[in-house]
Amino acid sequence: MSEYQEIGFEQRMALVDFRVSERAHITVDGDACRGCTTQGCVVACPANLFVPTSDGGILFNYEQCFECGTCYLVCNTEGAITWTYPEGGHGVVFALS
Amino acid sequence: MSVDYDAIVVGAGPAGSAAAIALARSGRSVALIERGPFPGSKNMYGGVVYGRILDGIVPNWWEEAPIQRWVTRRATMMMTDTQALTVDFRTAAWGAPPYNGATAYRPDFDQWLATHATAAGAELICSTTVTGVLRDGNRVVGVRTDRPDGELTARTVIACDGVNSFVAKEAGLYGEVEAHHYTVGVKETIRLGRDVIDQRFGLRGLDGADFEIVGCTNGIPGGGFLYTNLDTVAVGVVLELPSLAKQDRRPEQILAGLKSHPAIAPFLEGGEIGEYSAHVIPEGGLAMMPELVGDGLLVAGDAAAMCLAAGIWLEGVNFAIASGHAAGLATADALRRGDTSAAGLSGYRRRLETTFVLADHRKLAGAPELMMSPRMQRAYPQVACNTAERLFTVENPRPKTGLNAIVRSELKAAGVKVADLGRDALRGLRSFG
Amino acid sequence: MTAAEGSAASRSGARGSGASGSGLRIAACAKWVDLRPGVDALTGRVSTDERRFGFSAADAAALEVALRLGSEWGAEVDVVVAAPAPAEGAIRSLAAAGASRAIRVDLPSGASSKQVAASLAAATADADVVVCGDYSLDVGSGSVPASIAHRRGAAQALGLISVTPESPGVVRAVRRLDGGRREHLRVRTPAVLSVEGSVATLRRAPLRSLRAGHAPAVEVIDPVGLAVASVRLDRTEPVRPRARALPGPNGSAAFDRVVELTGALVARTPPRRVDAADDADAAADAIIEQLAAWGYLDPS
Repeated sequence: MSEYQEIGFEQRMALVDFRVSERAHITVDGDACRGCTTQGCVVACPANLFVPTSDGGILFNYEQCFECGTCYLVCNTEGAITWTYPEGGHGVVFALS
Repeated sequence: MSVDYDAIVVGAGPAGSAAAIALARSGRSVALIERGPFPGSKNMYGGVVYGRILDGIVPNWWEEAPIQRWVTRRATMMMTDTQALTVDFRTAAWGAPPYNGATAYRPDFDQWLATHATAAGAELICSTTVTGVLRDGNRVVGVRTDRPDGELTARTVIACDGVNSFVAKEAGLYGEVEAHHYTVGVKETIRLGRDVIDQRFGLRGLDGADFEIVGCTNGIPGGGFLYTNLDTVAVGVVLELPSLAKQDRRPEQILAGLKSHPAIAPFLEGGEIGEYSAHVIPEGGLAMMPELVGDGLLVAGDAAAMCLAAGIWLEGVNFAIASGHAAGLATADALRRGDTSAAGLSGYRRRLETTFVLADHRKLAGAPELMMSPRMQRAYPQVACNTAERLFTVENPRPKTGLNAIVRSELKAAGVKVADLGRDALRGLRSFG
Repeated sequence: MTAAEGSAASRSGARGSGASGSGLRIAACAKWVDLRPGVDALTGRVSTDERRFGFSAADAAALEVALRLGSEWGAEVDVVVAAPAPAEGAIRSLAAAGASRAIRVDLPSGASSKQVAASLAAATADADVVVCGDYSLDVGSGSVPASIAHRRGAAQALGLISVTPESPGVVRAVRRLDGGRREHLRVRTPAVLSVEGSVATLRRAPLRSLRAGHAPAVEVIDPVGLAVASVRLDRTEPVRPRARALPGPNGSAAFDRVVELTGALVARTPPRRVDAADDADAAADAIIEQLAAWGYLDPS
């Protein structure tokens, strides 16, 4: 049997329709993240939006967000992630879900 | 008091549309506010709609609903890294009216249900995010949206705004939110072609298959699923949040592991991913449910954690429709009596208590914890698979070992005491029995 | 922000929205298109899904520009959309941003540019300024704005990256040219402007105007019938590689040219003959040796 080929992560995300708003609906408090030892958002976010930086902080994107809420639920530093729904009509639009 | 509407329903998913249908049909003015560009655009699930609850809302719904396939094959699979033991049930009865479970794409299904709300007279306002509630003292009197001039007032607000329900949280109906009550589901919809799916899953016509899988999540409490649409299949994993955050494999990597399992890979071979999606699921059951009613406010669907995730049962859309419809009916009653305070709206809870919505949750209150336990997640699948493997491996000229001996030695190897097994069996009986 | 936009902001700030009615009429044109069509990589066949239909960023920007001109000049803005009936909800939402009328020209999606232009030109006949997106996402010829201007005998300024109102009936505009250059235009009505999507972001419609009974009803008008059928799709074919051009044969006489083309009288290596019936192994070896000599096989 041939090996099942996994597509790259960017290709995977490119399959989804994201109508990107100009306003970011996620904000991250970098200072709070630098003191965080677990940084669970980095591994748990299904869209891989959180990237650790060399100085211990977190770099984040909001454009390709599934709006699932995983990040703020796993965040154990009170107030580090502020998360709301994006502007109406924007954000993810599923078709085959 | 002059208000814009009798009721505002936040979110046009199954719960919201069902609530709006009930209210509009009883002659009330309803606004159904959806933040996506169309109902269903933000929605994702693990695969099966159980439509019995729709019988009383849209008669003969199966003739018009945008269904992909009717589930006639229901399998539960226990898995280790290399083994799988499956209980595979099929019945022709579920492939004919009135049917049982169906697979559907949520953007299709939710949009369809919303058309029944608008047909009944509800006013659907899309591309509009509710950012907060308007209050008069403790009482909810409307919502604030992200549009200019964006406040709307109503005698009642029904929060059907999904698992993250900012409306219910802002109104103080939730206690402390605990992450271990939540799982995240990630899913791939894979294009395969109708004929290929029919052949690989042994299906004909609009018959469909739904597999629930235990033991495929790399030790993280949760599970997996695989189900068929008409010309795509969906495969996904459900992962408990704190445990996911504590280890180092990303959700799509865990899903890739399931896809490459020898019992799953042959189903998917040669397929092309059509969409990747993710959503959080409220799995805590009764333990995480918020207050269902406040002054001028009700909560239904995922927003009220009404999702049944109890191992062999994984249901959500039916609970959403039932609770939303009950909320709509209770609101209509309260409006008729002119009392939409928490006491006036308390008919909602009574309605839920008398139907499956709370009855199932009460009966299965212990199930989520049992299903998420390490023994259920790892040890028992291993014991079951190894037992089956040893039972069916022919080791001539050595004589066969008795089943009892095999089970005992496998339990020991997996570190499960017979007392634990007994306790879990008892809890299982109490929960599921 | 460019200098031109900066001065526009201060101007509108000074004059505000209290400009008295100038009697001007402005129309914003749009087309209902699939914002994310699927394309089959092998056949090139395009698949569309009605749920993905909407208005492009350029069309939305055109409406925003029209609304800004309208509030500066005290002029009413009409939204004119080429679309079939299922688009009506989307048209109402678009018009709710501030248009006074919403007009749908009843055209199927995929109508030819010529048909769209003729119909939009007729529908906007009484508008002093017509604002369009620079090109549509589906056909993408970019010819519609120019064609509307031509049919109406109006001035045209196309592919604009900035539009600034001056005195009523006059706009200043900036157009992108090759090599990073810019062209600054002053345009008088009647005029057709087409804008890039980056010119402006469409304002969000106020909630009240989205509600039932508050949004303008969509007026439907028939498309203009064209006397001569425009381009019609006959059939589509799979991609074929282009023919390779070879030099013509030399030689003054036809006979010489034929000989050269066929290579008939040129000395050549005679074919090798190995009888497979005698020695199959030797025959196979000979074939492999020959294929390797021609470069079809790796000699190793």
